[in-house]
Amino acid sequence: MQCYHASEMMSAHMDGSLGSAESDRLQEHLAVCEACQTEWQSLQAIDRLLTSAPMMQAPVRVRVQVMTRLSRRDQARRAFVGGTALALGTVALALIILAPVALGLLDSIGIAPALASGGPATMAHLLTAWGAIGRTLLILVGQFAVPLVLIGICGLFALLALNSICIKAMRRLRASR
Amino acid sequence: VTTESEWIQQARAGDQNAFGRLVVAYQTPVYNLAYRMLGNAAEAEDASQEAFLRAYTHLRSYDPERPFRSWLLSITSHYCIDRLRRRRINWLSLEEEIAVPDQPTSNSPNPEAAATQHEREAQIQQMLATLSPTDRAAITLRYWYDCSYDEIAEMLGLTVSAVKSRLHRARRALAEKITEHAGTRADAHADSHADSHAKEGEIDYAMLPCQ
Repeated sequence: MQCYHASEMMSAHMDGSLGSAESDRLQEHLAVCEACQTEWQSLQAIDRLLTSAPMMQAPVRVRVQVMTRLSRRDQARRAFVGGTALALGTVALALIILAPVALGLLDSIGIAPALASGGPATMAHLLTAWGAIGRTLLILVGQFAVPLVLIGICGLFALLALNSICIKAMRRLRASR
Repeated sequence: VTTESEWIQQARAGDQNAFGRLVVAYQTPVYNLAYRMLGNAAEAEDASQEAFLRAYTHLRSYDPERPFRSWLLSITSHYCIDRLRRRRINWLSLEEEIAVPDQPTSNSPNPEAAATQHEREAQIQQMLATLSPTDRAAITLRYWYDCSYDEIAEMLGLTVSAVKSRLHRARRALAEKITEHAGTRADAHADSHADSHAKEGEIDYAMLPCQ
């Protein structure tokens, strides 16, 4: 038997995965090979050292720290979801308010037929239309500044309330599952 | 087992208290693995927290047919292996890597026994620190968790023959270290006692821990 093979068998023996025939062969080799005997002794010493080592007890604070980090992460995620919902809601609200104005403008300056027909004239019409929209917005803001600010504030509060209701509903749904 | 599977189900549904119970049940196995891998209490504590957070995040991908302990230890092993590789890249000093245990390892009222235990722990950690991260994980899972070749292979993503080969290589490396250690101690013993019978090259196995 080669010494390297014997060495592998020693390791397998320590794991209890060596058959009795192989174990006998190993013992025979150890009886005649001094180098392997020395290795066997030091392997056994390692085996004893590691087997005798206890489990290190975790500090009690590990649980508290894990739970704190989980809770913080949850809060951050909720804030992100809430913030995104708020931003999307604001954009949607703005679109709802401005859509009729924009549609009316498009219709009044005849951009819809130009878009349908296509061609180089479309770009010129589009530029004219955006300019007109911009001017109209400025006039609207000038004339209806107070109602627009009020609508904006009300919309913001409505979105915040909606967001809070959604989060509570999600929590209840999750708890009930 | 039923209680544990209930906790897992509840934690999967987002119940953090149920996950807290799992943390309490497994904090010592996870912490011990991290400690044996990383070699110091502060890093082991941080790694344990990170392993639990990762487990919570990936709880939906956990297969209930598989033992929860194996799944959790697998996450911990991979995290510690990554951390050790990063540490190597960061060129941290060897002293940090093989830091001596800094917490009491025994509740024994006997201070002498506690000191011996402390010294033994330091020796174990110093020797483990010389192994590659994966070999360290294989040895730790074998000795502290009594895992079979198949379990270690599954946890570390290796083949069974690779596990056998890694355990063999790691044991040989550790055996060389313990021989060196015993030789050093024998030399020191010989130096301090002129009438010592210690001979050059002879291993003083009496110095080594006994069963």
